[in-house]
Amino acid sequence: MHTQLTGGLSPAAAATTREESTMLPAINVTGLRKSYRSVQAVRDVSFCVRPGEIVALLGPNGAGKTTTLEILEGFRARDGGAVTVLGLDPGDKPAGRELRERTGLVLQDIAVEPYLTVRETIARQAGYYRAPRAVSEVIGLVGLAGQERRKVRTLSGGQKRRLDLALGLIGDPELLYLDEPTTGFDPAARRGAWELVRGLRAAGTTILLTTHDMAEAQALADRVVLLNAGVVVAEGPPAALGGRDAERARISFRLPPGVPIADLPVPAGMHNGAVVIEAAHLTEELQRLTRWAMDRDVTLSALTVDRPSLEDVYLKLTADGVPSGAPERSIR
Amino acid sequence: MTAAAVTGRAPYRRSSLRLVAHQVRYEQLSFWRNPQSAIFTFVFPILFVAIMGALFGSVGRSSYFGGLSALQYYVPTIAALCVLGSCYGQLAVALAARRQNGVLKRVRATPLPAWAYFVGLLAHCVLVSLADIALIVGVGRLYGVPLPSDWPAITLTLVLGAASFCALGVAVASVISNAEAAPAVAQLVLFPLLFLSGTYLPIHSSLLNRVTGWLPVRPFNEALTGPLSRHTGADWRQLAVLAAWGVIGAMVAIRRFRWDPRPE
Repeated sequence: MHTQLTGGLSPAAAATTREESTMLPAINVTGLRKSYRSVQAVRDVSFCVRPGEIVALLGPNGAGKTTTLEILEGFRARDGGAVTVLGLDPGDKPAGRELRERTGLVLQDIAVEPYLTVRETIARQAGYYRAPRAVSEVIGLVGLAGQERRKVRTLSGGQKRRLDLALGLIGDPELLYLDEPTTGFDPAARRGAWELVRGLRAAGTTILLTTHDMAEAQALADRVVLLNAGVVVAEGPPAALGGRDAERARISFRLPPGVPIADLPVPAGMHNGAVVIEAAHLTEELQRLTRWAMDRDVTLSALTVDRPSLEDVYLKLTADGVPSGAPERSIR
Repeated sequence: MTAAAVTGRAPYRRSSLRLVAHQVRYEQLSFWRNPQSAIFTFVFPILFVAIMGALFGSVGRSSYFGGLSALQYYVPTIAALCVLGSCYGQLAVALAARRQNGVLKRVRATPLPAWAYFVGLLAHCVLVSLADIALIVGVGRLYGVPLPSDWPAITLTLVLGAASFCALGVAVASVISNAEAAPAVAQLVLFPLLFLSGTYLPIHSSLLNRVTGWLPVRPFNEALTGPLSRHTGADWRQLAVLAAWGVIGAMVAIRRFRWDPRPE
C-alpha cells in the first residue's frame, strides 16, 4: 500500500529509500530535557523507535508525554539532549518542512473549519502535501464513506476523531503520531481503529502512540515506553513491561465455610476474603491444589489464575506521582 | 539529497502559486458558507449606504462635506470601513479563534509554509474587499454618485490598504492571547478611531485631522475618496502613511505570532 502511494518514485528507487531508512531509527531521543519556568516537564528522556514499529508512550498526566511529543513534532524547542526524527532534527527550522511532508499528526483538542464538508476538509489538507493519498481512499480507510458531503460541524465526536485520523493519513506519512486516537470511540469503532492502525504498520508506517487505555497499548504496541515525572521508568514489550512476565502468578479462590486454610497442601494467605497463593511453580502447585480439592470433594469457587496486568505494572511504576508544580489535569 | 530529487517532482517554488490558489479557494469556501460573515459583508454596507442615502440623498455639494455631496463623502468612507472590517476586524478575531481552537496548530503541522498561509489570507481579504467596494459603488450609483473612472488607482489603494490592515489584524491577533478578548480589543481600538477619522461624520478640527492623518484610518479614507469621488488619482502621501502602518503591523506579527494555543 505504501509504495504504491509514494507518487513519482519508481519501484526500485522506492525500495532503495525504504532500505536506507530502515538502517536508521525512525525516532531517536537521547537525554531530552525541557523546563517551563521552574517546572522540569522532561528531565531525562531517552528512547528509540525503529522503522515499522508501533511504540506507545504511556504515563500519567504531567509525566512529560505531551512535551516530548511536541518537541518531536517541532512545536517546542528543547532545552537539552539530542533528537532525530527520520534522520532530521525537528528543532532545525529548514528541516521542518521536509519533516512535515513525511510525518502525520493526529492530535487532541484540535479543530477544523465548521462549514466545510468532510471531503472538502480532507481535500484541503491533501493540497498541502507533495504526494498525498487519494481523498476517497482515505475516507474509506477511516470509515467515513457515505459522510463525504456532511458539514464538519454536524459530525459526532467519534466521527470527528475519524476525520482527525484522515487528516493525519492524507499526506501518506512514513511516521504517524497518534495522540489518544480512540478517545470517544465506542468499543466497535475502537476495534475498527485498531485494525486500521495494524494495517498501517503492515504497510510500513512507523507509529508513535500515546494513550491512557492500557488495553489499547497492549493490543497495538510492539513496545511501551513508560514515563513518570519526566523520566523513562520502564521500557519493553507490553507483555514484559516492568518484568511482569517474570513475576509470580497468583492463584485465588474461595473456600467453603468450615474448611480451614491450614488444611491446604500449599502455603496460602487471605486477601479480601479470598485465598491467595503466590505460585512459583504454577503447574505443579495448581495440580496439587486441584487434586486436594477433588479428593476432599471441596469446591474452589471463583478460581482464577493471573499475573500482574499491564495496568498493575503501570500503577506500581507511576505510584510516586506527579512532580510538584506540574499542571494537574483530570484523568479520563 | 533534496526533496525534489527524491520524488522527481517540481521543486517547491514552482508550485507556490498553486498552493496560494488552493488556500484562497478554501478560505473563500469557508467564508461564504458562514452565514455571519456573508451577512456582515453584504447586508451591512448596502444598509449603511441606503440609510445615508435616505438621510442625506438630497443634500447636494456642501462645504460641510468638503465640497462633496453627502453620498460622495460616504461611499468612500463606508468602502474603507468595509475593508477595515474584513481585513482588520474579522481577521484579528478569526485568527485568535483559530489559534484557540487548534486550527492554526493543525495548519502548522502540515508542510504548508507560513508565508503561503498568510498570502492566502491576504488574497482572500482583497477579494472580499473588492466585492464590497463594487457593491457600495453600485448602491451609491443609485443615489446619483457618478461611477469612478480611475480603476488602477482604486485597485492600488485597495490592495495596499487591505495588506496594511491585514498586517495590523494579524498583529492584534498576535498580541491578544485569548479568543474571547479579541473582538473587544479589536473594536475598542477601532471604534473611536473611526469616529475621529471622519468615517461617520466629517471632522472640522484641523488639530484632530493632523493627528489622525498619521494614524491608519484617515489616510485610507482620504486615499479612497480621491479616486472614488474627487476623480483624482492615487494619493501617494496617504498611501505612504498606510504602507508604514502595514510595515509596523507586519513587524509585530512576525515577531509575536504564535500558532500554538498554549504559550510556553
